[in-house]
Amino acid sequence: MKTVVITGATSGIGFETASLLTEKGYEVIGIGSSAESCSSAEKQLLLRNPSAQVRFYNADLMQLSEVSRIAKVLKEDLEAHCGNLYALINNAGCVRSWYMTTAEGYEQQFSLNFLAAFLLTYELMPMLKKSRGRVIMTGSKSHKGVNVHWDDVMLSKCYNPLLAYKQSKLCDTLFAKGLNDMFAAKGIRAYVVDPGLVKTDIGNRKTGALVNSIWSFRKHFGKAPSEPAKTYAFLCEQQIEPKGFYYHNCRENAYSKVVTSENAARLFKLSERLCGIRYGEVF
Amino acid sequence: MNVFITGASGGLGRALAVECAKRGYNLFLTDVDEDGLSSIKRGLERRFNVTTATCVSDLTSPQSVDEMLAVLDKHRLRLDMLLNIAGLDFEGSFIKREREEVVKIATVNNAATLRITHAILSRRKHGSRFFIVFVSSLASMFPIPLKAAYAASKRFILDFSTSLNQELKPLNASVLTLCPGGLATTPDVVKSIEAQGLWGGLTTNPLELVASRTLDKALKGSCIYIPGLLNRVLSIIGKAIPRQWVAALLYKRWSNAQKQWLNLPETIL
Ligand SMILES: NC(=O)c1ccc[n+]([C@@H]2O[C@H](COP(=O)([O-])OP(=O)(O)OC[C@H]3O[C@@H](n4cnc5c(N)ncnc54)[C@H](OP(=O)(O)O)[C@@H]3O)[C@@H](O)[C@H]2O)c1
Repeated sequence: MKTVVITGATSGIGFETASLLTEKGYEVIGIGSSAESCSSAEKQLLLRNPSAQVRFYNADLMQLSEVSRIAKVLKEDLEAHCGNLYALINNAGCVRSWYMTTAEGYEQQFSLNFLAAFLLTYELMPMLKKSRGRVIMTGSKSHKGVNVHWDDVMLSKCYNPLLAYKQSKLCDTLFAKGLNDMFAAKGIRAYVVDPGLVKTDIGNRKTGALVNSIWSFRKHFGKAPSEPAKTYAFLCEQQIEPKGFYYHNCRENAYSKVVTSENAARLFKLSERLCGIRYGEVF
Repeated sequence: MNVFITGASGGLGRALAVECAKRGYNLFLTDVDEDGLSSIKRGLERRFNVTTATCVSDLTSPQSVDEMLAVLDKHRLRLDMLLNIAGLDFEGSFIKREREEVVKIATVNNAATLRITHAILSRRKHGSRFFIVFVSSLASMFPIPLKAAYAASKRFILDFSTSLNQELKPLNASVLTLCPGGLATTPDVVKSIEAQGLWGGLTTNPLELVASRTLDKALKGSCIYIPGLLNRVLSIIGKAIPRQWVAALLYKRWSNAQKQWLNLPETIL
């Protein structure tokens, strides 16, 4: 049985992906931010499919110390079961209305949407290596049209919530690019799924009146989260690893020109410093 | 520039620490929260090329403060700036709170602030200008039922710092009082801003701008900073209307808003 770890699996896109993958016979380990959301998601999944192989752990992935802690828990869990990790789906994400920071003083959207994935993937690399596994990032079409603000990635000079979101998704895409540059030859491949506009509550959680009402209006035009779930399943199901990189509706799609190897390397360097790690040392 | 920050692991404290680090200042950070303190130290050192020293201390305890001062003195540390950020509030009506909780509002916001200000002022660097920042609040401008002790404690800070500013002029030191509206620093504060709807959004100040302007204004020698035009207008209106009327009006508004997010845990404001 193949094991998949999905962050942000308690609701929306992550939850539906967990549901679809368990149906297809994968063992799913989900992560959510609270014990309550995790146990309720687990119950719902088992209600849908009583024979689902699924379990949850909770961690506030916004805090890097929590990412490190949960990575240890996951490693122990994987060791005790199949001993490797077939796929890691970095999907947890948030939207903020204001400049808010984590315990390290890092901007929250940057920290959860991107940095958490950067660190978690690093920690689970040995597990992925054993199975020549896949890393799937939840990207977004909105990454197009922005650039990384290299001199102020946390946007601490003048915060723009939407820009912070877009930039975090661009970083996700650059991260996947960089992973392929470094590890594709070693059998690990990274992909980005662009889910499109999806009807979830992401813009209604811990946001102010403005962002809240704009998202409440916008999400009605979105598709059901079970739609993008198919693309994650598609990427997991291929026996031979797909050659593409950026997927939407189970098909390859165009991504931003800013996603270059040079920018990816630059982002790796910056993020390694922010997380206190060195990707070069994992193999 | 050596800067001493209290409440450094809270939302505003972290934002100010980041702003100082960006400017290349050396930092001495303190807070009661040990994990929070080591996290912000780690974050700052990874991001900026600055020296960051930390010391856990409970500012309400003279003994704990003395121990921290001993560390400062051992390293012969002298300071150029003090940012008094530590403070707290408990939501809800006076009588419904625990007795020691309401007392703690004055102990932390006022007594502890006096203690540390006195201590750091006497450890200022000689021969150069010294800067102090106090965090009061827009709440200091009005009597606020249901936030009675908090608003009064912030009024204390406002009046104290205005007087201290005069006293310190001959010593080449200046005092700035920051009086922000809402600052989205913790999930609880975000909830309370949400509960106030559009109004909450309008009186909320962007944290990153407040942090950088606070430092700019302190360095310029300003004595008060009320971020946001609407908040400045409100503070003027507050002075023009009889205080009992203001209290009656605010009581109505707060009791409605608080129904939506009553029984909040301790929030650092
Ligand atoms: N909806 C769209 O139109 C759209 C479009 C493009 C991309 N995306 C991306 O899709 C991903 C999923 O979003 P969604 O729309 O499905 O929203 P969602 O329903 O709000 O799901 C977000 C998930 O992330 C988890 N999460 C949030 N904060 C967390 C934290 N601090 N620590 C750990 N987990 C945390 C949540 O877990 P808890 O419930 O336990 O907090 C939840 O499972 C995000 O990366 C988002 O950027 C969404």
